Amino acid sequence: MRFAAILDGASGAAAQQAQALGAFLREGLSGDLAGETLVFYGDDSDRKRLVELAPTRAVRLIKTAARRPDRMAEILTALVRGEQIPLLLFPGGAAGTELATRLACRTNGAVLTDALSVEVGPEHLLCRKNVYSGHMVGRFALTARPWCVTIDASWNDERARTSLGHDVLSDSDETDETGATPFEDLELVDPPATGNLADSRFLVVAGRGAGSRKGVERIAAAAGRMGASFGVTRPVAMNAWAPMDRLIGVSGTRAAPALCIVVGASGAPALYWGIEKAAFIVAIDPDEHAPIVRNADAAVLDDGVAIIEELAQIIAAERGND
Amino acid sequence: MSSLRILVSFKVTPDYEALREADWLAGAAVGTAEGAAQGVETRYVRRILNCFDESALEIALRLSEARAERGAATGLGALSVGGRETEPYLKTLLALGYDRAARGEAEAALDFAPAVVAALIAEYVRQVDHSDLLLLGCRGGPGDSGTVPFMVAEALGWPCLTQVIEVEPLPDDRVRVACMADDGLLRATLRLPCVLAVGNAVVSQLRVPTLTDRLARRDRRIDIVSGADLGVDIAGELRREPCVLVGLEAIDRARRGVIIGGETPREKARVLFDSHLKSVIEKL
Repeated sequence: MRFAAILDGASGAAAQQAQALGAFLREGLSGDLAGETLVFYGDDSDRKRLVELAPTRAVRLIKTAARRPDRMAEILTALVRGEQIPLLLFPGGAAGTELATRLACRTNGAVLTDALSVEVGPEHLLCRKNVYSGHMVGRFALTARPWCVTIDASWNDERARTSLGHDVLSDSDETDETGATPFEDLELVDPPATGNLADSRFLVVAGRGAGSRKGVERIAAAAGRMGASFGVTRPVAMNAWAPMDRLIGVSGTRAAPALCIVVGASGAPALYWGIEKAAFIVAIDPDEHAPIVRNADAAVLDDGVAIIEELAQIIAAERGND
Repeated sequence: MSSLRILVSFKVTPDYEALREADWLAGAAVGTAEGAAQGVETRYVRRILNCFDESALEIALRLSEARAERGAATGLGALSVGGRETEPYLKTLLALGYDRAARGEAEAALDFAPAVVAALIAEYVRQVDHSDLLLLGCRGGPGDSGTVPFMVAEALGWPCLTQVIEVEPLPDDRVRVACMADDGLLRATLRLPCVLAVGNAVVSQLRVPTLTDRLARRDRRIDIVSGADLGVDIAGELRREPCVLVGLEAIDRARRGVIIGGETPREKARVLFDSHLKSVIEKL
């Protein structure tokens, strides 16, 4: 069966998205499949780089205006109708969700977002994804084709890439200046401020158990003394005890540190999704029944602020002795 | 500045954190009926506003106030597709100054049926509310698909931005929007009508009405709108749903969970460091 992976080359996240799609094609997708990558690009000088990024050998280039999801949806709709591509795989995130949904709506297909895995059956596409805010995994059957699927943000590939020896099958110019853009004065203001959280090797996360803005600030200060990055749970961010760009979890950053210390958070799945790739998790919470205690490698049953400040003192002293 | 009609569509969800682990496991064990999984029993759990929808509801109030300062009128409406559990929230919104409050009668469980929910919202906008701006949370509910805003936008033929964190009214039929795109903070101006799906906005909590507000507006009524009223065949749409939940799996996240001993915070921190963290930190 044939599939197409979609890559928006005009996005500053194209490289990460290509890596995630590559990992998904190797480990998340099962069935007898042959595929190609449809690469959207806006600037001729980007073509070579984008072809190298493509997660399949076969590549088709499509030139169109940047940040025009409406145009991309039109082009994909015509392509899918003309060529009967049964499965389309999109990167996770806002742009992938928009394209997959719009395409499914226009072609009477089925859409599923944030797939953990995809299995091609004789009649249905079987997908697994997190549901109930990460409390469970749901299994879904997609019936109507095309199947428009975005992959879960947990897909990543940190291995060094080897060149696939790409074949560029076509390069079409679909630039159309006639349609009115729905967005005026578009500007990308700055890159995400959360980058250092995603890349952090040592992360401290504060939860509602910090008790107050002051408590959160003390935990952040202790994290700083330990040389750790600092993140927070959604309740902390919603109380304005810390900025939203510090948010860890389903609606924030997903981190994969070597060490993660969670202070005063129950460990709800929405948070845990953001730290579950940590190599070693420490929970500090007075409630022995909190889920984070059994989902951690080690746990301290005590006041979070007191423990983290003592720990910061020990680590700072050890470093001073080095 | 002409009058503007804003509609906020919101969802009331169970507080999943209040569900016992045994109930999640029971949900995974429930059999299937006609191929569709039954879902987890959440009816006894207290309800909360979906966090993104809560932001959208407050943003709409602030938009209305910002326009009022410029002498422009704004009509605020709220719609929730769901059961009677949504009505206390709709009453609260009326007390806060929303002019219109409607409940879309869900005649069946729509937890995993985003296309049906989107059809109800789109038809309500088109036939009943005639809104210029639709605000809703970027995602929420058990299925957590994030597709409803785009499905509604497709049905209405409107542009849509998701992960919106700020909305500012402009002195004509446009809004200035900031949203978190996959590759950074994006600012754009949109001409109305449009759909805005709110994400991790700084404005995250809905204000609380005073008792005086509640008393002053207690007679305002909630409109109940059924699928039939809107020409949406909910049962038929559910049968045609092209993405069907067929099963649930529990997730085992357990790690070793070694409890660190000690009498005082200082002792415990020392044991934790010596027994577990020292070797990890040395390798960082």
